Amino acid sequence: MGNYFSTIFGAFTAILKGMSVTFKTMLKPATTVQYPTEKLVPYEGYRGALLFDADTCISCNLCVKACPSFCIQLENATNEAGKKIAKVKWYTIDFGKCNFCRLCEESCPTKPKSVWHSLDYEITFFKRDEMVRCWQKGFEFIGKYFDREAKEFKKPEGQVQIQTTQQRCQY
Amino acid sequence: MTETAADNKPKLKSDQMFINLGPQHPSTHGVLRIGLTIEGEIIVNAVPDVGYLHRGTEKLAEIRGYHHCVVLSDRWDYLNAMGNNMVFCMAAEKLMGVEVPERAQQLRVLMLELNRIASHLLFFGTYGIDIGAFTAFLHAFREREMVLDLFEMVCGARMTYNYIRLGGVMKELPKEWLDRCREFVPFFKKRLAEYDDLLSFNPIFLDRTKTVGAVGGKEALAWGWSGPNLRASGVPYDMRKFQPYSSYEKFDFEIPVGKDGSCWDRYYCRVREMHESLKIVEQVLGGLPEGPILGKGVAKVPKAPPGETYAAIEGARGDLGIHLVSDGNMSPYRLHVKAPSFINLQILQEMLVGQKISDVVAILGSIDIVLGEVDR
Repeated sequence: MGNYFSTIFGAFTAILKGMSVTFKTMLKPATTVQYPTEKLVPYEGYRGALLFDADTCISCNLCVKACPSFCIQLENATNEAGKKIAKVKWYTIDFGKCNFCRLCEESCPTKPKSVWHSLDYEITFFKRDEMVRCWQKGFEFIGKYFDREAKEFKKPEGQVQIQTTQQRCQY
Repeated sequence: MTETAADNKPKLKSDQMFINLGPQHPSTHGVLRIGLTIEGEIIVNAVPDVGYLHRGTEKLAEIRGYHHCVVLSDRWDYLNAMGNNMVFCMAAEKLMGVEVPERAQQLRVLMLELNRIASHLLFFGTYGIDIGAFTAFLHAFREREMVLDLFEMVCGARMTYNYIRLGGVMKELPKEWLDRCREFVPFFKKRLAEYDDLLSFNPIFLDRTKTVGAVGGKEALAWGWSGPNLRASGVPYDMRKFQPYSSYEKFDFEIPVGKDGSCWDRYYCRVREMHESLKIVEQVLGGLPEGPILGKGVAKVPKAPPGETYAAIEGARGDLGIHLVSDGNMSPYRLHVKAPSFINLQILQEMLVGQKISDVVAILGSIDIVLGEVDR
């Protein structure tokens, strides 16, 4: 009988002890944020969605070789004589394959970097085709995608954040 | 659907029943399936069935360069990705004969221990949920968030770090990083004391775990257990002490050992390990040497001389080893991961027999497996 009551007493005190920890936390301000309305800004050097600048790229193929998932493709531009020049004709990144590992940015020899991670962590896609982003001279800066059904370049619908947070690291 | 070992059930007697636990079950921490034969509520046969998360990273490594393999290694044990990076880099450095500078070695130790804390915190939280205590989970994740913030500052990612590279580390610490880390250590010490009030010595929690799933030291060694699981069974074996790597011999820490290897011992062994990891973090922060962070002699496309090597570290879940064979080309000829989760999991078929079905989740949670590492 005494054992029975001591068990009840022990469990009761333990619950009070645990509750005191909970109660202390309750008085402190909340550590969470209300996500869609409040947003946290990532730290400098965050590995978000990749961005590309066709103006500075010298199409050296180093990022293509550095990529562990082979998600980057590019083609050299040519001059009137048909010779390859150090400019990029088109450049695609397949975000369906991208590992977000920053090996491409590290290997890029240009200053500032031609391919770099933005701070954007909200990348969403409606279609698989949208995941393959194309950059080309004459197009707007934001990457367009090639719609395989309509056989034309289209503006992405799913993801709109990519150009709002730009940052180019220098290291 | 192909037939697996778990499907190959023996002829059931009239009072027996076959049930599936998983693959989609919140308490299996991933996609693990266990074929259970029960008699009333006592388990008479249990067959774990793995392979639902197989991505073939060992094969993928055979057509990729050594720098690329570090990225692949993040995906094995995604809760302890620093350890995976570390063990692959150690094996490749051994093969290539690359010296790692002193500062890089200590930075590696710092990151490994912080990652161990993050991994054990996730165990602490999810084990609480398995048993039925939800508050502990929220508390643990608040602290884990601080560790992940530190990682985000230094390498830009929160889970797949890719921070430890061949010959050193990826990047120098940011300016305010050390101060943030120094703030974290005393904060976390206070929290660890709270955890004991919250969960560790709660009599309801003790009743559910103290008498369940006892594994003796001999049995644990026979099944090839390692890490906190083995130490909880009373065998004080720790790679960091007995085969020090990356300047672990300079730091002073203890090996927490359990008594009878019950679920509670395995749980508390990990909680105490967080104390020890914190000790190491404090020591590293006290005397971080200056110097380069990347060793010399690592090419952009490195080639390893022909040969084979084995490197092992004390991961968060046990001895994590890499067997690396090279034929002199740009990519490894063969890469094999000795994954502690996979080996720790095997004992389930013996351990679960004779237990009640309500204790399955308690036992499964206490082994702390990560299915990404089991299936690779």
